[in-house]
Amino acid sequence: MFYLVLAISSGIIGGLLVAAIPKDKNRMRKYIVLIFSALGAFFCWRVAAFVFSGESVELSIELGSLNLYIKPDPLGAVFGLIASTLWLFTSVYSFGYMAGKHKQRTFYAFFLLSLGMTVGVAFSGNLLALYLFYEMLTFSTYPLVIHERGPDAMKAGAKYIIYNLSGAGAILIAIIETYSLAGKLDFTGGPILAGLSAGGLNWLLALFIVGFGVKAAIMPLHRWLPAAMVAPTPVSALLHAVAVVNSGVFGVLRVIYSVFGHELAGQLRISAVLPWIAAFTILAGIIIAARKDILKQRLAYQTVSHLSYSLLGAFILQEWGLAGAVMHMICYSTLKITLFFCAGIISELAGETRISKMKGVGPSLPVTMSMFFAAVLGMIGMLPLNTFWSKYYLMKGSVAAGNWILALVFIASGIINAACFIPIVVNAFSGEKVRPQSERGARAVLMLAPIVILVVFAIIIGLYPGIVWPGVEAVVNCYF
Amino acid sequence: MMSSAAANMPVLVVIAPLFTAFVLTTLARRIRLVEGLVVFTGILVLIGSGFLAADVFNKETALIYQIGGWPAPWGIELKAGSVGVFFLLVASFVSVPVSLFSVNNLSDEVGGKERTARFYVLYLLLCGAMYGMAVTNDLFNVFVLVEVATLSCCGLVSSRNRPRAAEAAFTYLILATLGSTLILGGIGFIYIITGHLNMGFVHDELNRIWQSEPHVVWTSFSFMLVGFGVKSALFPLHVWLPDAHSTAPSPASAILSGIAVKGYLICLLKILYNVFGYTLMRAFAINTILVLAGSIAIIAGAVLALMQTELKRRLAFSTVSQIGYIIMGIGIMNTKGLSGTLFYLAGHAVAKAVLFLAAGAMISASGRKKISELAGIGRKMPVTMAAFTVGSLGLTGIPLFSGFVGKWYLILGSLESGSFFPAVVIIAGSILCAAYLFSVVRVAYFEPAPDENWKDPGLAQKIALIVLASAVLVLGILPDPFLELAGRAAEELLALK
Amino acid sequence: MSTMLEKLTINYPYFFAVILLVIGALTVLTRSSLFKKLFGISIMESAVFIMFIAAGNIRGGTEPILNGHNTGAVYINPLPSALMLTGIVVSVSVNAFALALIMRLYKTYGTTDADRIAELRNEVTDK
Repeated sequence: MFYLVLAISSGIIGGLLVAAIPKDKNRMRKYIVLIFSALGAFFCWRVAAFVFSGESVELSIELGSLNLYIKPDPLGAVFGLIASTLWLFTSVYSFGYMAGKHKQRTFYAFFLLSLGMTVGVAFSGNLLALYLFYEMLTFSTYPLVIHERGPDAMKAGAKYIIYNLSGAGAILIAIIETYSLAGKLDFTGGPILAGLSAGGLNWLLALFIVGFGVKAAIMPLHRWLPAAMVAPTPVSALLHAVAVVNSGVFGVLRVIYSVFGHELAGQLRISAVLPWIAAFTILAGIIIAARKDILKQRLAYQTVSHLSYSLLGAFILQEWGLAGAVMHMICYSTLKITLFFCAGIISELAGETRISKMKGVGPSLPVTMSMFFAAVLGMIGMLPLNTFWSKYYLMKGSVAAGNWILALVFIASGIINAACFIPIVVNAFSGEKVRPQSERGARAVLMLAPIVILVVFAIIIGLYPGIVWPGVEAVVNCYF
Repeated sequence: MMSSAAANMPVLVVIAPLFTAFVLTTLARRIRLVEGLVVFTGILVLIGSGFLAADVFNKETALIYQIGGWPAPWGIELKAGSVGVFFLLVASFVSVPVSLFSVNNLSDEVGGKERTARFYVLYLLLCGAMYGMAVTNDLFNVFVLVEVATLSCCGLVSSRNRPRAAEAAFTYLILATLGSTLILGGIGFIYIITGHLNMGFVHDELNRIWQSEPHVVWTSFSFMLVGFGVKSALFPLHVWLPDAHSTAPSPASAILSGIAVKGYLICLLKILYNVFGYTLMRAFAINTILVLAGSIAIIAGAVLALMQTELKRRLAFSTVSQIGYIIMGIGIMNTKGLSGTLFYLAGHAVAKAVLFLAAGAMISASGRKKISELAGIGRKMPVTMAAFTVGSLGLTGIPLFSGFVGKWYLILGSLESGSFFPAVVIIAGSILCAAYLFSVVRVAYFEPAPDENWKDPGLAQKIALIVLASAVLVLGILPDPFLELAGRAAEELLALK
Repeated sequence: MSTMLEKLTINYPYFFAVILLVIGALTVLTRSSLFKKLFGISIMESAVFIMFIAAGNIRGGTEPILNGHNTGAVYINPLPSALMLTGIVVSVSVNAFALALIMRLYKTYGTTDADRIAELRNEVTDK
C-alpha cells in the first residue's frame, strides 16, 4: 500500500521540491529530477511485482458517498511501468537537451508533477480517480506545452486546454451516467456495466470514446497534437508520444474492457463502427505525415496513426486484439520516444528541423541516424524490433474477428511508414556535403545514451518476446 | 438554560447582528473596538448556527419559533429546517473571514473612521437580514428582510467616496426597489387569494384553490421570479451587478456576490417549494422555465465574463453565470438535483468570497484593475494568488474541490430526471469558467512581472484568505456532513406537495 | 363583455393599481432624469399599496376597532393596512437614500440627468 502512495507521490513531491529550490541551483535540480524519476520508476516496478504475483495493493480515499480508489491491475501496472521507466530515460535526455535553455525550474517542476499524474492515471482503481488524475494531467502538462512562450506556443497551449477540457467534460457526463446506471465506479469485480441491457448504451460508449479519444488522438479529435509539437523535444517525446496520448489509449481500454466488458460492448451497434474509425485514422494519419516537411510534424502524425493501432486492437474485441494493443503500447512507446529524441538531437546538434535540409547529416551524427533507422524499422514492424510482435498479434486478432480488411490496413500502414521514413535515412547518408562530426561532448552523450539503450532493449524484446509476454498475458486474462 | 437557548436560537441569530449594528453607531470613534465587535458577533452567530444545525440535524425535525409567542397564522413564525440551517451555516461561515479581511483594511478604501463604522453597521444589517431570510417562514417577513438587505447592500456599494460609486449605487437602488415592488406585488396576489401569509398555511390553501385561480397564481409567480431575478442578478436582469462590483470595496463585493444574492435565491427556493409546491410548479411548467433561464444565464454570463478585461468585472459576470447553475438546479425537481444545488450554492459562496477578497487585495496592492496589468503578481503575492487559484479550482469543479461535488449531483439529478440538456450546459459552463478563470491564473503566474513593490496583505487578511481557501478544499474532500444536510433539505423541500 | 365591465367596476382599485404599476415601471425605465426615476419607483410602490389595501376592504364593513357596542359587525381586514404601513416606511427610506445619492451625483457632475452623467463619466475615464 505504501508503495502505491510512494509511486504516485514521488513525482508530485519531486515536482514541488524542484519548484521550491531557487533558479540558479541547476545541478541540485538535476539531481533531484534524476533521483525522483528513478524513485518513481523503482516504486512502480515494486507495485507491478506485487500485482503480477497476484497480491492486491489498494488505497481508498473517501469523499462522501464517492471515493477515490487506487488499485492497479495488470493493465494499470503495465502502463505505469511504461510511463515511469520511459520518464527516467527522458530525464537523462532532457539534461542534455535542455542545457542552457530558459525556464528550467518551471520545466522540471511540471515534468515531475506530470509523472505523478500519469502514474495516478495508470494505477486508478475506479472511474473517479481516473478522471481526477486525467484532468490533473492536462493541467500539469499545460505549462510544458507553452514552454517556449512565443505566440505559437500560447496558441498551441490554448488549443490543448480546450480540446482536453471538452473531452474531460464528456467523460464526466459519461461517468455520472455510469454511476447512475450501475451504482458503482470500481474496476474490480468485473466490468461495471455488465448485465445491463444494451439498448440505450450506445451514446454512453460514444461519449466515453469521444472524451478519451481527444487524448488518444482519434481523428478528428487529434488537432491539438501537431500544434503541441512547438514544445521542447523531451516534452513532445514523452508526453505526446508516450504518456499523455497513452493515457488516452489507456482510458479507451479501460472503458471498453473494465466499464463495458467485451461482451456488452460487442452487443452495441456502435462497436461495429469503431474499428473503421481507428482504421481510417491509421491510414489518414500516416498519409498526412508523408506530406509534412518538418520532422517533428511528420512524427506527430505518425503518432496519430500508430495510436490507432492500439485502439483498433481494442475495438475488435478479441483476445489477440487486446494482446496486440497492450504489446503495441509497450513496444511503440520505446521506439517512438527514440524517434523524437533523434529529431531533438538533429535539431540541437546539427541545427536542422526540416527533412528537405537533412541531406548528409548521417556522417555527422552516425549514432543518431543509426538508431533512427532502427526505430523506423520498428515503426514499419520489421524484425528484429519488438513492434513486429505487436503487429503480428494485432493482425492475428483482426483475422480472428473475421475481418481481413483490417489486417490489410496494418500491412498498408507499414508500407506507407516505410515510404515516409526510409527516404529520410537514405537522404541522410547520401550526398557529399560534409558536416562536422557533431556527436561530441557531455551534452551529446546525455542525449545519445538513452536512445542507444532503448533501441537495444527494443531489439532484445524483439528477439525474445517472452520477456514481456507474461505481462501482456496477465492483462488479457483479466478480461477474457 | 441550554434547551431554551436552543429553542430561541432562530431569533437570536437574527437579532445579534442587528443589535450589534445599532450599538456600533455609538462607538464610531473607537475603530478597533468596532472591528473587534463585528468579528466577535460573526463568530458568535457562527457558533449559534452550528449549535442550531446540530440540533436540527439530530432531532430530524424543524425548529419552530413564534415571534412574540403568537402562534401562526396570527404571528410571524421562524422555522429552522434543514434548508434554513444549511444556508445559515454557509452565510455565517463566510461572513467571518470577510469581516476579518476588512479589519485595518477599509480606511483607505472608504475613508475616515466614521465612514468605516457606518460600513460595518450596514454590513451587520446585511448579515442579519441574510440570517433572517434563512429561517423565516412568513411571506411578509421575507419582504421586510429583502428590503433590509437591499438597502444595506446599496449602502455598502456606495461606501467608496467616488462618483462612480454613487452612480452604481443609484442604479442598483432603483432596479432593486423595482424588484422589491414586484416581490411585494407577488406576495399581495398570494395573500389576496389565500388570505394567509404563513408559508405552511398558504401552501395548504393554495393547493386547494389554485385550479380556480390559475391566472392569479401565474401572475404571482412571474412577479416573484422577475423580482427575485433582478435581485439575484439572473440574466438578463443582471445589469446592475458589474458596476456595483467594480466600485464597491472588496469585502462588500465578497459578501454581495457570495452571500447576498444567495439569500434571495434561498427565498425564491423556499417560496417555490414551500409555498407553491412541486405539483404547482410542474403544472405551470415552472421547472422548465427555470432550467431554460438558468442555462441561458450560465452560457451568457460565462461568455460575457470572457470578454471582460478588468478583473473584478470578470468575477462579477462569473457570478451571473454561477447564479444560472443554481437557478437551473432549482428547476431540477429531484432529491439529487436539489441537494446538488444547495451544495453548489455553498461551494460558490465560499469560492466567490475568496476570489473577490484575493482580487481586492491584488488590486489595492498594485493599483491596477486590468488583468493584463496584473501580470506576474502570483510570484510577488504568493498567499493571495494561491488563494485565488484554489478559489478558481473550486469554482470550475475540479475533483477534490468544492464545485465538483455540487456539479456531480446536479448532473446526476438532471440525468435522473431524464433530461440530457442541463448536463451538457453544465459542462459547457465549466469549460468556459475554466477559460475565464485560468487565464487570470496563467497571467499571474506565467507572465513576467514589472519591477514593483507588491506585497501580500497583512496578517488578518491572510488568515481570512487561508480560512476561505481551506473551506473550498474541505468542502471538496470531506463533503459528507454538508451533503447529508443538503440531502435532507432537498427531501424536506420535496416532501410538500 | 358585460361581465367584463361589471368585473372592472367592482374591482376598480386593482385596475388603477395595475395602471399605476405600469406607469411607474415605464417612468423608471424610460425617463432619463434621476428624479423621475425616483418618482416612478414611488408610483410603483403606491400601486402595490393600493392593491393590498383594497384587498383588505370589505364593502359595508366598519373600522376594526372594538368599542363595546359593535359586536357582530363586519370589520374590514386590518392586516393589509398594517403591512402597508411597513411598506410605506420602507418606501420613505428608499426615497431618502435615493435623494441623498442624487445630491451626491449632482455635486459631482452638476446635472441630474442620467444620460448626461453617462456622457460625462465616459469623458472623465477617457481622459
